Amino acid sequence: MADSKTTSQVKEVTIWASGVIQDAEARDTANCIAAAASKEGKHVQAFDNYIDLPDRVNVPVRKYARISSEEIQEKYLYENEHPNMVVVVEPTLIKGFNILRGMLKGGMLVVNTGKEPEELLKFLPNKELLAAVATIDASKVAEALVDDFMDIEGAAAGVLGRGIGAALAGAVAKVSGYFGLESLKEVVQNTDAAEKGFNNVKIKIL
Amino acid sequence: MMKGKKKFIAGTAAVAEAAMLANVDVISAYPIRPYTGLMVDLSKKVADGKLDAEFVHADSEHSQLGIVHGASASGARTMTGSAGVGVTYAFETYSPISGGRCPVQMVVADRTLDPPGDFGSEHSDVLCARDQGWIMGWAETPQEAFDNTLIYYRLGEDQRVSLPQFNCQDGYFVSHIPGEVVVPEKSQVAEFLPPYKLAKPLDPRKPYGHGPQIFSDQGPALQLQRAIVMNRAKEIIPEVVSDFNKVFGRKYDSYIENYNPNDADVCLFVNGAHSQTARYAIANLKAQGVNVALCRIRFVRPWATEEIAEVLSQYKAVGVVETNNSFGVAGQAGVFTPEVAATLYSLPENKRPMLMSFMAGLSGEVIRLNDFYFMAKKLVQAADRKKIEKPVYWIGFEEN
Amino acid sequence: MSLPNIPKEKQLPEGCIVDSPTTEQDHMTTGGWRVLRSVIDYGKCTKCKTCWISCPDAAIKVDENGDVNINLKYCKGCGICASVCPVGAIARIPELDFEDVSVYRELPF
Repeated sequence: MADSKTTSQVKEVTIWASGVIQDAEARDTANCIAAAASKEGKHVQAFDNYIDLPDRVNVPVRKYARISSEEIQEKYLYENEHPNMVVVVEPTLIKGFNILRGMLKGGMLVVNTGKEPEELLKFLPNKELLAAVATIDASKVAEALVDDFMDIEGAAAGVLGRGIGAALAGAVAKVSGYFGLESLKEVVQNTDAAEKGFNNVKIKIL
Repeated sequence: MMKGKKKFIAGTAAVAEAAMLANVDVISAYPIRPYTGLMVDLSKKVADGKLDAEFVHADSEHSQLGIVHGASASGARTMTGSAGVGVTYAFETYSPISGGRCPVQMVVADRTLDPPGDFGSEHSDVLCARDQGWIMGWAETPQEAFDNTLIYYRLGEDQRVSLPQFNCQDGYFVSHIPGEVVVPEKSQVAEFLPPYKLAKPLDPRKPYGHGPQIFSDQGPALQLQRAIVMNRAKEIIPEVVSDFNKVFGRKYDSYIENYNPNDADVCLFVNGAHSQTARYAIANLKAQGVNVALCRIRFVRPWATEEIAEVLSQYKAVGVVETNNSFGVAGQAGVFTPEVAATLYSLPENKRPMLMSFMAGLSGEVIRLNDFYFMAKKLVQAADRKKIEKPVYWIGFEEN
Repeated sequence: MSLPNIPKEKQLPEGCIVDSPTTEQDHMTTGGWRVLRSVIDYGKCTKCKTCWISCPDAAIKVDENGDVNINLKYCKGCGICASVCPVGAIARIPELDFEDVSVYRELPF
């Protein structure tokens, strides 16, 4: 009586970031992705990895967004077991951690950096899992949030998409197609960053 | 009916919204995962001027309860909270607050007691205090966490009751994973929840004494008094819940929710968040020809023995899902098994279902759909064979 | 009634009382946190040991020759050594400029 059918329809987005400095931005990215997909009628979840918090400066933290066209049946999970899309807000994290852990073949990677996608491949020992690698220099198109270091631990999100979260969500929209740019622009505050993230992301198909 | 703004927030934020609408007067805070988000959110609301309240940062959980005890006795609507070992740290205060009839509300996002020192959800921390005379219940979703805050204030502060309440939710599952919450307008809340009025508030102009020393022959009457009050709370619950349903357009049951869409004759007895997954399991199992129902307990204290017995009597087998520990307890399972057993014992023998227990979700482990399928299979098997295979199963350790 | 057995892969020591590390262990290597790597220019280094004593994680070791070595398995790249060095012998260079990998973990910890 196994039930993998329902869980495999869920599109899983995992976001890696540096603790404290980028914690709010990573959470914002997950919330923007979920809100935009929800506008299109999808069932969504967006939450933090529980054991990465409370975060310390530079510790890797993970946030998750889950999108499905059907109701998500197993709502209580501690992490995305098989991410389809991985977003890395601090590019150095790809060197020290297996960010593609659990990914099945054909996944996607978006990294926040000014480098070209090819330059990152040498740091990925399991790059054969990827169908596409993309880079977006989010800090060129938006100001990173620097006023929200408070560890809100599950408390309510404020305004969505004020900083680089909007740009990263725009890049995710372009690379994955899980939701459209127009839906994203409806939910974020910095629509300019969302659009630039969508248009400026450099994609390399593998 | 369901007027109000739709928000996508987690359980702790939902309770903060409810506290703001209920116009809480005194909040005492001390951080402990996973309930800290509630206090962070409330402190922001107080600082921004959205909530006019005294926000006191205590030096420990014991002090937290001491602060709200005094505030509540002086006529303030209070809120405090904790989790895990914080709840047990404040243990000494629970009986005086209940005996002193101060309707304090304590929001607990539960957490496993140390060791193992992990942050996962387990109901043991609050269940330790089930004898102390507090109203106690768990929320299944952030929406219910919001609703329970208002229901418990109304129930606890009712002049006929005046008892403190544990407003509980599963740590991480409800407290950290956002869900949809419809936040009603202030006018609706004012219609349901009257302002807090204490019969004998502490006041230097008219002094009262709390907790005087008495002789032991006066004691039994005092204890019976509190038992009568707790029973009265049980009698009032249907009135409060139906009033809530009418004002806010919800459909809550009073004591226990009986979810049986497929006319099953076995049921799972679940408390808290894991009921969400159980509902999907029930729907999926129907396609396999296995029918099971869900009985979700809404009020652990006061435990409505007759009403719960009547609901359970329609089933041939009851499987109690225990997400708690009580090492060495009668029945060798958890806390709910002896309680359900006593409930079933009040039924005549020919109407008494079989009872078995499943230790699942301990230490915050997720109860997967496959685990619920295993439990349903065992229940249906017992009903078919007219006897149970064994009384207690430890999910994750049984050879299939 | 008997309780089930605990399978070998799930077993923990009695009371969860575990061995404690004395100097180093492999369960919580923090080198992956580092964004800027501190690199010592041994031509300028005067062996004053100010960096060794200032490192908050004790990630700098002094060897038998009196040279200081940064333990890249643990260095989090906080940059305190670079800022206290009296002769400016420590440079902070982006970690992605180096091909060698000092720590690669499956999970953060």
